[in-house]
Amino acid sequence: MKVKVITRILEANDRIAAENRKLFNKAGVYVINLMSAPGAGKTSLIERTITELHRKLRIGVIEGDIAGTGDAQRIEKLGIPVIQINTGSACHLDANMINEAIVALPLKDLDLLIVENVGNLVCPAEFKIGEDMKAMILSITEGDDKPLKYPLMFQESSALILNKIDLLPYTNADLEKIKKDSLSLNPNLKIFEVSCKTGQGITEWTEWLQSLVT
Amino acid sequence: MHEVSIALSLLDIAERYCEKEGYKGIESIGVKIGKASGVMSEALLFAFDAVKIGTIAEKAHLIIDEIPVSGFCSTCNNNFSVKETYVLCCPRCGDTSFRLETGRELDVCEMEVFE
Repeated sequence: MKVKVITRILEANDRIAAENRKLFNKAGVYVINLMSAPGAGKTSLIERTITELHRKLRIGVIEGDIAGTGDAQRIEKLGIPVIQINTGSACHLDANMINEAIVALPLKDLDLLIVENVGNLVCPAEFKIGEDMKAMILSITEGDDKPLKYPLMFQESSALILNKIDLLPYTNADLEKIKKDSLSLNPNLKIFEVSCKTGQGITEWTEWLQSLVT
Repeated sequence: MHEVSIALSLLDIAERYCEKEGYKGIESIGVKIGKASGVMSEALLFAFDAVKIGTIAEKAHLIIDEIPVSGFCSTCNNNFSVKETYVLCCPRCGDTSFRLETGRELDVCEMEVFE
């Protein structure tokens, strides 16, 4: 017997993401889902963001990695509440992992929660976690062909942070092509050129972020 | 890339449905997978065959309806459908402010069940 069952396959994830969102709203915390390929500078950007904003906002962090606690240790040194999620083998964070992790975070005492997703330019873009905003990092050294090769993350993100901009003269990357291709995928994308190493452009990013939170 | 997660979600939906409605088994599950959904049909079939073992869907086969990417461009008033996985601009006028209509589907549509 054939029966009609019309459901989104990711319905369960979306349902838990909506639950997370309710918890975040109730606690009054703004949540960003930070995504990028491995090594693009997610943890470095979080460190820079904390240093710039910790006197203005109460910040918490969730670190997603396949294995290891190195990233959480880096954040902990800054005196910020942090939870490490080890996904084991999963290539992305999903809503349920976040749902389990936030129990251990003082959500009510936070203004901003930064979730560092697993380093991967593909899958994290598919899974909602209950965030207010998705942001992504592309480091200049990854090359200017990435927006058109991995379009979904560029389409899903509200902000694109171009990190390692100080290395631009040493690469063949065409900055204008990155920007043009990214904007053709997502005309509303807000683009920041930064260097987490030198601090260039960080203030523009943190001021914008702060304006969303408050 | 994460077809196993998708296959597990699919299985979860099928199992919950059968439990609720009192069905004993599933012969097939029909799904719609958009070309721009990020899910590869071959990988999903492979993943589903691996995760269904020992479940109510053990004998079920997956019927995948691949949905092409299509959209509507308001600049040139054009409905279009493309063979590519992603579309960056209207294939007729090149404008980027088009609306994607299909291609991102990841849906269960029907199941063949028995009591």
